[in-house]
Amino acid sequence: MSDIHASWGEAFARFAGGLPAVDHAARSAAFDEFIQHGMPDDAIERWHYTDLSAFPKKPVQLATAAALGGYARWQLSGCDERIWLNARNVAGASSATASLPSLDAHAGIAGLHRAFAQPGLQLDVGPGTALARPVHALTVTTADADGEMTHLAHRISLARGAAATVILQNVGLPGATRFSTQSLTVELAEQAQLTLIRVQDESRSTTQWLQTDVNVGRDARFQLVNVDLGGKLIRNDWRVKLTGPGASTELAGLFAADARVHLDNQYEIDHIAPHGTSHQYFRGLGFGPSKAVLNGRVVVRPGAQKTDSEQRIANLMLAKGAEIDAKPELEIYADDVKCAHGASCGQLDDTAVFYLRTRGVPETQARALLTYSFINSVLERIAHAGLRTRIARQVTALLGADLDFDAIGDLS
Amino acid sequence: MTKLLEIENLHARIGDNEILKGLDLSVGAGEIHAIMGPNGAGKSTLSKVLAGAEDYVVTSGTIRYQGQDIAEQSAEQRAAHGIFMGFQYPVEIPGVSNMMFLKAAVNAQRKERGEPEMAANDFLAWVRHRVKQMKMDPAMLSRGVNQGFSGGEKKRNEILQMLVLEPKLMVLDETDSGLDIDALKIVSDGINAMRSPERATILVTHYQRLLDYVQPDFVHVLAAGRIVKSGGPELARELEEKGYGWLQAA
Ligand SMILES: Nc1ncnc2c1ncn2[C@@H]1O[C@H](COP(=O)(O)OP(=O)(O)OP(=O)(O)O)[C@@H](O)[C@H]1O
Ligand SMILES: [Mg+2]
Repeated sequence: MSDIHASWGEAFARFAGGLPAVDHAARSAAFDEFIQHGMPDDAIERWHYTDLSAFPKKPVQLATAAALGGYARWQLSGCDERIWLNARNVAGASSATASLPSLDAHAGIAGLHRAFAQPGLQLDVGPGTALARPVHALTVTTADADGEMTHLAHRISLARGAAATVILQNVGLPGATRFSTQSLTVELAEQAQLTLIRVQDESRSTTQWLQTDVNVGRDARFQLVNVDLGGKLIRNDWRVKLTGPGASTELAGLFAADARVHLDNQYEIDHIAPHGTSHQYFRGLGFGPSKAVLNGRVVVRPGAQKTDSEQRIANLMLAKGAEIDAKPELEIYADDVKCAHGASCGQLDDTAVFYLRTRGVPETQARALLTYSFINSVLERIAHAGLRTRIARQVTALLGADLDFDAIGDLS
Repeated sequence: MTKLLEIENLHARIGDNEILKGLDLSVGAGEIHAIMGPNGAGKSTLSKVLAGAEDYVVTSGTIRYQGQDIAEQSAEQRAAHGIFMGFQYPVEIPGVSNMMFLKAAVNAQRKERGEPEMAANDFLAWVRHRVKQMKMDPAMLSRGVNQGFSGGEKKRNEILQMLVLEPKLMVLDETDSGLDIDALKIVSDGINAMRSPERATILVTHYQRLLDYVQPDFVHVLAAGRIVKSGGPELARELEEKGYGWLQAA
């Protein structure tokens, strides 16, 4: 056993007793999976751009609860607030006892996550029930000691005809180096409708793996807006299975890779049943020496006739040294399908910058306004004005501008 | 008395292509000048060079505005000091509302001039007043800048921006092209409303039609990068009749 594994083994032995008493045998089995398979390296196809095999090197420990009164600033108006601080639920009930998630992921890293999994949002919505308010699940991580880690597992389950909007927001405060994994499993029964807004906003010293598994049942709909605002090394995996006839999904996303960020987004949509619809709509921004990967893979299984699938990726390079690899992939095993995809990469239009400058808007602000214009088609899908403005402000601040979003007006 | 705008022997090129080749023009406060001329003569180039476009290189000559050489001034500084250019092809900025755009422009100009920001309510009232003057639907304020606007609506929006910003020197590049008869009247009214002893307007146009509504004091012909003929309003009518061929030799 290598040193890395030895240190992990020690950590597991030390912390297993302190983890929620769910299925200790399963945790141990998961830990063995991790030791057996190790962390994924770039020889694995799905991990071509991201290598975690040497990570983490130092002994690790579970993050400890910290006193933080200041999370009010991330709270959102009109939402049902659930808050986790260093992976401990501190506000809003975390209902139901959690069981370990089953994930369609690399066995080693999934094993690690399952071994240490801490209960996150556990949301069950009953048949025909529509939640009146969005659920805002906010996870805040502080940065007190080097090598701390969190492993939250969230679960959302909508029964037949249920509807909900969930905002899942990760905020990492700047500071010590951290490692975190987070899973989300979503089950949508017949005709259920979930709108998920996921905001990933980690500190620049955080390495993070996120995995989301979604099952979309008959005539159910999964609508996602994912916003990646960075970290040190972020790997974000999405597996959406359209398992019932007429299931549909729209995955919209926006990512902003500023200096020294490594951001790897892997989306996989699996059309298993007929009459499924999937739309992917992504906008990427490269701000500085950074690397972003966006892989959008669509598989249409033999039985998935009448599938309608579209992928659109557009990237905007805002600085030298930015690299964005955008790859739409299609694998079609059915003959009666409609599939389209396209990816583009460009820069800000000089004429548009000049237009704004002739109106007196300084160049920095002009570029920020045009960047806002570029991402607006994703932003406008965020059905919470306060959050939308906050994200717009945060992204355009990366360009050094301070825009007046109060004057946006109603864009609908 | 110093002229509002004084251009002397202006040479400008883009890439290796010299487009303005020794252009002279002087515009006094209170005056309206029309510039006509064949396609490709350099009219839009002149407009953009005045507004501060950086892709054109001024190789020689001077542009003095309010007595000052503005060679070193950025487009945004020129705008703050009162130079406005109406674009021949206005740009679409989807998702950035006209309101946000106008507010960004007005406040940036005020900041550059060392004036305080306008209070939100005053600003809204001011913009609404101008929208009404341009007979536009106030709902346009929450739409993206020129997003999905027709050609004529875009031109009307240029004049709205001008009315909101209240510049001193207005350079309107073919603002009349693409307008229907009613819109031409509204746009002309907008231009006339800005007429004052301190302001001046340069109208780049291909048609006498606009000049029936906005009476110019001077008409110039720009051909091959220079002003080749200047006269009064009658020159425009003469051009309408005879075209530019007879001037080419000059
Ligand atoms: N980026 C460029 N590179 C090379 N040549 C250019 C460029 N932009 C403009 N030109 C050339 O400069 C010349 C003048 O163009 P300009 O747009 O100023 O003409 P104009 O007088 O406004 O014509 P029109 O009446 O058609 O609007 C044209 O020959 C045009 O092709
Ligand atoms: Mg022109």
